[in-house]
Amino acid sequence: MSIIEVKDLAKKYPLPDDKSKFFYAVDGISLNIEAGEIFGILGPNGAGKTTTLEMLEGLNDIDSGSATIDGIDVASRPYEVKQIIGVQLQANEYFDNVSLDELLSLFAALYGRDVDTAELLSKVNLLEKAQAKPNNLSGGQKQRFSIACALVNKPKVLFLDEPTTGLDPQAKHNLWDLVRELNAAGMTIVLTTHNMEEAETLCERIAIMDHGKLIAEDTPQNLIMKHAPEPPQAPLHGNIEDVFLALTGHGLRD
Amino acid sequence: MLTKLQLHLTKVFMSIFLRDRQSIFFSLFFPIILMSVFGFANTGESEPLKLGIVNNSSSEVALEFSQMLIDNPLFITTVGEQESLRTQLVEGEQTMVLILPESFDAQSDGAELRLLVDAAQVQQLGLIMPLLEQTLIAIEREFRNIEPMFSLAVEDVKARSQRYIDFLLPGLMAMTIMQLSVAGSGFNIVEFRRKGILKRLFVTPIKPNDFITAIVLARMGIVLIQLTLLLLFAVTIFNVSIVGNFLTFYLMIMLGTFIFLCLGFCLGSVAKTQQSVMMVGNIVIFPQMFLSGIFFPIEAMPELMQPIAQLLPLSFVATAMREVANNGTSLLEITPTLIGIAIWLVVSFVVSVRLFVWKEVAN
Repeated sequence: MSIIEVKDLAKKYPLPDDKSKFFYAVDGISLNIEAGEIFGILGPNGAGKTTTLEMLEGLNDIDSGSATIDGIDVASRPYEVKQIIGVQLQANEYFDNVSLDELLSLFAALYGRDVDTAELLSKVNLLEKAQAKPNNLSGGQKQRFSIACALVNKPKVLFLDEPTTGLDPQAKHNLWDLVRELNAAGMTIVLTTHNMEEAETLCERIAIMDHGKLIAEDTPQNLIMKHAPEPPQAPLHGNIEDVFLALTGHGLRD
Repeated sequence: MLTKLQLHLTKVFMSIFLRDRQSIFFSLFFPIILMSVFGFANTGESEPLKLGIVNNSSSEVALEFSQMLIDNPLFITTVGEQESLRTQLVEGEQTMVLILPESFDAQSDGAELRLLVDAAQVQQLGLIMPLLEQTLIAIEREFRNIEPMFSLAVEDVKARSQRYIDFLLPGLMAMTIMQLSVAGSGFNIVEFRRKGILKRLFVTPIKPNDFITAIVLARMGIVLIQLTLLLLFAVTIFNVSIVGNFLTFYLMIMLGTFIFLCLGFCLGSVAKTQQSVMMVGNIVIFPQMFLSGIFFPIEAMPELMQPIAQLLPLSFVATAMREVANNGTSLLEITPTLIGIAIWLVVSFVVSVRLFVWKEVAN
């Protein structure tokens, strides 16, 4: 059963040097995300991953096409969608001088809920930091705290925007374990990433975007079979990084 | 009525503002320093003038005349030689030197007294001249045995002396309201947006209304606390008293806070970066500090400026607060000022609602 249905979704911006012309940051993508899967969106910088996510989260207006989450139309009923999604953004700064504990109760209040902050914090391994301020957390702790904030409303779908960027290997694996744990409990997880290992080992299905378009969508194994260049002698079939480069080319972005 | 969420948010914003010790310190520090500078420097009575007297005449009249000046509490007099007193005047030890001519006696027919002054130092010359002339007339009358036809008795109906600090305090409080409020909404919003906090809030079901209500309430609370501290300081250290009704005074504070919070929301919605909000904020704040009759009455400004100055929001708020604090004026008596406040309230509220589009402000 699809929990997220996206059809011909598009977002255009006026060109900086010629306001009468547009470029499409997201150019008519369609995809279905199944309930209970971990779905990864890959793409070079500027491919339209974050814009796509922001349209699903209601942060960005949808110019054309449609998107529903759990059967609710994102454009026309944003407040109902906000109730059932959890969001972790790339920027993860919070109010100064407010402890993790207080921030979590605040976020819960925004959903009209009471929450057991200690339980949530121990879920993300931050119980002993309950009275700490977000500024005093390490990068990995900040990301885990962001996820805790996104969990206060027990969301059906959790959106993670580049959750492991900038983390050391320990923190990265720790975060993957957390994502798997949440997924095992039935949560659908949609994430964007630049990390091929993350896409390959964590995600059940992957979509690859480039220039605002969806250029491939399948399980990591199938993508490798289809697109990775056959190594001359080795029995290995390459990896997702080979797939990524084969599909998007070697040219530098940004 | 307030919802549970609004109360919760207000509490959080309150603690955010209260835990920011540094800005609390500085927002109190500045007005307290200003108050102290003017409060201690200006005790309410004008300083006695240092007057040197050179008496070139040996007549009784001249002696009596100098004695009258010596007895006058407005002057600290030194009688001496012209040369040395002149040097003292140049060095700033005397404010002015009065020279009585040799011909100063009972038979005098229009003898000329010379007054040496350092014009740059004597702002009060206009006050002193009549005083000297008055003394001369008094002496003349005495010698010619004429009774004065009229006398003028001045009665102060305010029954209390108005010191500069009394004038200054309400304006200073109004100015603090402006700074705290504009920063409290405008600067904070830009800061929250820069950190991505507004974006994070936007993806929750929070209504912009709740967010704004909470900021307004929290800021209002902080302003009331800070101004009460300022007032306590002024009352205990400088013995300033609020003549009018306390509730009216605080009502003016709250109306002022609301106007400047709205103006701050306008700023925060328009300015996208920290630098631009600081710049635009200063354009709003600085001219008002000097044009709104905070440090000197608007009437003392050039005629051309006065009509403009009187229309500034801070002018209305400061005037209303001063009227209530200094003169005990009731609300009814300051209707024009209240109308000005009401117009600013409506305008700033409507414009801020127009400009504050949650999705655009958050992104």
